[in-house]
Amino acid sequence: MSPEVLWALVALGFAVVAVRRRTLGIALLAGQSLLLGALAIAHAEGAPGELALAVVILLARGVVLPGLLLWVVRGTREPRRVASERFVLHRLVVAVGAVAVAAALVPALPLDDPGAEHVVIALLVQGIVIAAVRRAVVFQAVGFLVAENGVYLAGLTVAGGVPGALELALLFDLLAVLAVAAAFGSRIHERFGSSDTGLLRGLRD
Amino acid sequence: MTEVLLVAMLASPVIGAGLLALPLSARASRRLNAVLAVAVAAASGAVAVVELTQIGEPLRGSWYAIDPAGAVFLLVIAAVGLMSALASPAYLTGDASGFFAGRRARSAYYAALYLFWAALLALAAVDNLAVAWLLVEATTAASALLVAFSGRAQALEAGWKYLVLTTLGLAVALLGIIVLYAGIAEDGASIAALDWARVHAAAAGIDHTTAVAAVVLLLGGLAAKVGWAPVHNWLPDAHSEAPPPVSALLSAALLPTVMLIAWRVEAALRPATGGAGSGLLLGFGLLSLAVAIPFLWRALPLKRLLAYSSLEHMGILALGIGFVHPIATAGVVLHVAGHALAKSLGFYATISLLRADPRLARRAPRGLVATSRGAAGALTVSLGSLSGLPPSPLFFSEVLILLGGLAAGETAVVVVAAVMLGLGFLGLAHALIEGVVTDAPSRRRPAVPGERRLKLLTAVVAGGLLGLSATVWALPGSRLIADLMGVLG
Repeated sequence: MSPEVLWALVALGFAVVAVRRRTLGIALLAGQSLLLGALAIAHAEGAPGELALAVVILLARGVVLPGLLLWVVRGTREPRRVASERFVLHRLVVAVGAVAVAAALVPALPLDDPGAEHVVIALLVQGIVIAAVRRAVVFQAVGFLVAENGVYLAGLTVAGGVPGALELALLFDLLAVLAVAAAFGSRIHERFGSSDTGLLRGLRD
Repeated sequence: MTEVLLVAMLASPVIGAGLLALPLSARASRRLNAVLAVAVAAASGAVAVVELTQIGEPLRGSWYAIDPAGAVFLLVIAAVGLMSALASPAYLTGDASGFFAGRRARSAYYAALYLFWAALLALAAVDNLAVAWLLVEATTAASALLVAFSGRAQALEAGWKYLVLTTLGLAVALLGIIVLYAGIAEDGASIAALDWARVHAAAAGIDHTTAVAAVVLLLGGLAAKVGWAPVHNWLPDAHSEAPPPVSALLSAALLPTVMLIAWRVEAALRPATGGAGSGLLLGFGLLSLAVAIPFLWRALPLKRLLAYSSLEHMGILALGIGFVHPIATAGVVLHVAGHALAKSLGFYATISLLRADPRLARRAPRGLVATSRGAAGALTVSLGSLSGLPPSPLFFSEVLILLGGLAAGETAVVVVAAVMLGLGFLGLAHALIEGVVTDAPSRRRPAVPGERRLKLLTAVVAGGLLGLSATVWALPGSRLIADLMGVLG
């Protein structure tokens, strides 16, 4: 995989950490997923079965899942900016620091493309950081999908690829989890008048 | 014949979910639920008994493999699922949902409950790591909706936290699966490369660094779902906010069953990891005890206290499997079964109590014996057993686990764990005395509904707990433990 593409995947992840608007965050996620889908299609060249699977996954990850999140955004208009999300620089520092520490600590993985190993870890850590530091429900769901994109990239770099049955099952699982997350997004917005999870602070010991 | 039973075991809860999702009257759904619950439990119990009574190889087919460990967990899931399904009508008559639209709430509850139960049963029977991961994720989707069923602000918070933390944890575990697959699969291999037997067979040939990376990612990711500290944050919230029958399933069936997957991973990769996996489990165990015990000393609402007790008991189980010794393994088997019975009873007791006095959802109880002898009796059996008070099976299981640790040469870990278990015992005993026996405020309290049923359930569970205690003399050195060590030792 070309270093430019790998850097672009990481940059898109950091951009999700930084951007303010939920729709922009979803668009960045879609861009990252489409880029990964294009990589999968390039890998599958000459194998019709794998190519068809790669196209299905590209459409699902790059179009259907972001579309589902956009549908949630449409139904959960925010009256004002999410109060707990004002510190862009703090978020970026946390994300860059976490990715750097993880890249330094995680040993070499047995993937076919050593250059992609650090990007896999970076995306996984970015996803976790996004879910931790972003407060809007949609951003936390986007964080989960960024982490899943890291795992998908790992699958692309395994020699011989990951079995198609497993990839399809994972896709179905992603759809199910995102559907449940969408239901939560709607209910949280109904209940609090905002999808700011910073408002969910009733359970403390 | 076995395959027919197995298909019935997995198909009946899925069909049940479909039937109960139909818009039935309350009476019809209650009756259908009772019939289906008995059918699912009977099929699951039959599969487990067939495996446990036959000598030799596990029950194995193209897509399943039920070994002694799977059979023990099937029995636990069947028993807890049956009790939770039968306890659900009492909960549903007392608490309306805010998460689902009013008319659909009951059918949505039953559909999610049965799908959750089906995924748990399949998890104990499935023969493949990747499929097991998918089923763990399926339990998250179904149970997150159940956690938030009441629609209250705290329930939404608990359900969302549970969904986000466990799915992120499972993403980490999935990377572990891919690392493992990359380490063991030949070019063009199928998903069958991740069958447990194949992973066992391939483990000796895996590069040490790859095996350690895989086991750390897998155990670290699954820890978020088991609720081991330090990735346990969702556990107290989800257990305390879920409907009590769901809390029982979460605590008594889900957590130990996901732990079984972690156990299988550690055992399969042990030849290549040089004990890194068992060391990690001991770390999770001690940390979970250290985090849980201070909360057992605090005056918490009942369900929250039971939730922190789950964290403590998952810590004990992590120690038991981390010691990798037959005596500790006997303790783990006894502990899983005893914890399931005692914890479920505690959660079921809260159904009646919360209906009579909803304020108990937010504050610690006092003097329950003056209010409800049924609830007081149930909580005495539950908290007494969970604290490890003899003759509770959990007393014997904890002794077995500690003895196994000593036999395995982990003296320092055993000493620290013994001190923490002693403190945990005192904390729960204190909660039991304060909550049940201490004089209540003199004002009049409303009557507690469902007293007779609760007394009957308490008698059945107490009998079951004593029966488990009686097995302590036969369990270490038994064929069951020898077979378990053959698979997981």
